[in-house]
Amino acid sequence: MAKRNDISLPEGHLEALQEKLMAIPAQQQEAPRGVRRLAPYLAYAASLAALVLMGNAILRYSAGTANQDEGWDYVSYLAQSLDPDGQIELIAAPQLSDEEIESYLIASNISVEQLYSVTYEEDY
Amino acid sequence: MSDNERIFHQLVKDYSEQLWWHVRRMVGTQEDADDLLQEIFLKVWNALPSFRGESGLYTWIWRIATNETLNWLRKERVRAALRFSSIDAEMERRIQADPFFNGTEAQRELSKAVAKLPEKQRQIFVMRWWDELSYDEISAITGTSVGALKASFHIAQKKIKLNLEELDVSK
Repeated sequence: MAKRNDISLPEGHLEALQEKLMAIPAQQQEAPRGVRRLAPYLAYAASLAALVLMGNAILRYSAGTANQDEGWDYVSYLAQSLDPDGQIELIAAPQLSDEEIESYLIASNISVEQLYSVTYEEDY
Repeated sequence: MSDNERIFHQLVKDYSEQLWWHVRRMVGTQEDADDLLQEIFLKVWNALPSFRGESGLYTWIWRIATNETLNWLRKERVRAALRFSSIDAEMERRIQADPFFNGTEAQRELSKAVAKLPEKQRQIFVMRWWDELSYDEISAITGTSVGALKASFHIAQKKIKLNLEELDVSK
């Protein structure tokens, strides 16, 4: 029985694939360089945003608006100052699709045996 | 071009075709073989600076390829289980529907029988039967003794034979 002639290979397929493989070093070097170029700006933007938020929180706190309800702790007050109209739902139940759950399980290195045991436990 | 890039390009030239055929047999489709080979060479590129030369480049790159392939199969096994299927059924479906298969029915049944072997045994069989690696080479790659490899190949052959005989009985 001939061993390798049972699967055909389109002409030029491996050559095209080899070209993609050859491009891996260049692709790998490009990505970090882009991130590195942006890093100082990102750090600056993050610092500025943190300062503005903290300043806003301190100003509102010192103006006495936080004392309206004595039961509030500082974290609650900070949350309220960041979102005064309550438009952001802070604790929202994540809506996950089947694909997202599947991707999570694959990435979590779960074994089929563990998967079966989890399913089994859920049934009882 | 750096030294590592030069070595990497040489590795692609020297080993990508042989590894593609190995991966193609293991995963069952051309698309997955292409994707997995790219993952393998990405791993090779990232690991190249830490290559210490304790084993030859040939053994080293094959070791990465076989580990990545087993890892891919493990993920496929979980993926199939999540769809209430099995990887055996999935592999059989892939071999049956492979548009690039142009062998005889006997060769197709052989591929299906090989796909039913346990992953490591299957890998050893593919390396010996289709990739035509010597037992010494497989031993260096897998870290398994030559004796154990011979035993594994012998058992795999028996299982395949039994499987093919059962098919003949049912026909």
